[in-house]
Amino acid sequence: MKNIALYSLPIRYMLIYVILILMSGLWLFLLSQGLECSESIISTLKNVIASPAHKSIEGLIEVATPHLFAIGTLIFVAAHFMLFSTKVSQKMSLIVAMVLFILALFDIFSYFAITFGLVVSGWIKLVAISMFIAFFLLMLGLVGVSL
Amino acid sequence: MKFLVTKDLAHSTLLSYLMGSVVFAILIYLGLDTVLHAYVIGLDMHSVSVTLFGDAENFVEPILIDSLLLQVHIDLFMTLFAILILSSIYIRLYSDKVMTKWIVHLLFIMGMLAPAALILAYLVSAFFTAMWLISFMLWHVLASIVALMILKKLLFK
Repeated sequence: MKNIALYSLPIRYMLIYVILILMSGLWLFLLSQGLECSESIISTLKNVIASPAHKSIEGLIEVATPHLFAIGTLIFVAAHFMLFSTKVSQKMSLIVAMVLFILALFDIFSYFAITFGLVVSGWIKLVAISMFIAFFLLMLGLVGVSL
Repeated sequence: MKFLVTKDLAHSTLLSYLMGSVVFAILIYLGLDTVLHAYVIGLDMHSVSVTLFGDAENFVEPILIDSLLLQVHIDLFMTLFAILILSSIYIRLYSDKVMTKWIVHLLFIMGMLAPAALILAYLVSAFFTAMWLISFMLWHVLASIVALMILKKLLFK
């Protein structure tokens, strides 16, 4: 391989694309919670905590199914670049990747707890989505540092 | 993408066929994706405007922001994977060409610009409609050319 450095180009762009996907996903979630009708993002977040929007089981499964495949694949593709990292230890990469997979599942299934009536407040979804995005950004940061 | 850089193609017929097959599938995807977007959003200025802003004379409602954002969300994901696979194989086969670097840059930038322009056209200005049309068609045409170049190299080496 003469130009192995060229391979860093698709990886760099992948980091930007994943950030855009996360942003549009967050925006979609806020829209589903009434962002358009609210005055600001803060008031939408307060609405989520106080009275999260009602979602049917069918609607939740419709959202969860493609996300299980898509998020799983995205984490795999992003995390597997850590195999070639000389700056971040394999142990650290393993911990971050596994925590990210667990947080992804927590994020995808957290709304079921609201729909099934296990929790009344929507804080669980906000905690899940915040932790998932924070850890995904951490993983992307590790990939970026390794380039 | 480690599998793309390890095996020597000359000694791995399986890898050559696998790469050729996935590129062929992506080539068909690019064609059908264009047709799908022609149905959902439109591929000329008038039909895109009607989709985004509606048509009061013919009682056509504009698309909802939720539906448009969902389309953009899906497009970003699909574009990422299509271009990631194509560019990785393209770099492997054409790494000695000067143009390779710029083609990869152009592919990723146009692929990113298309969904961004669609949202901007809806929220900011109709001017971005033209930007969406150009960037969408450009990345699809460029990705198809790259796919054909890969197939040519794999089939007629």
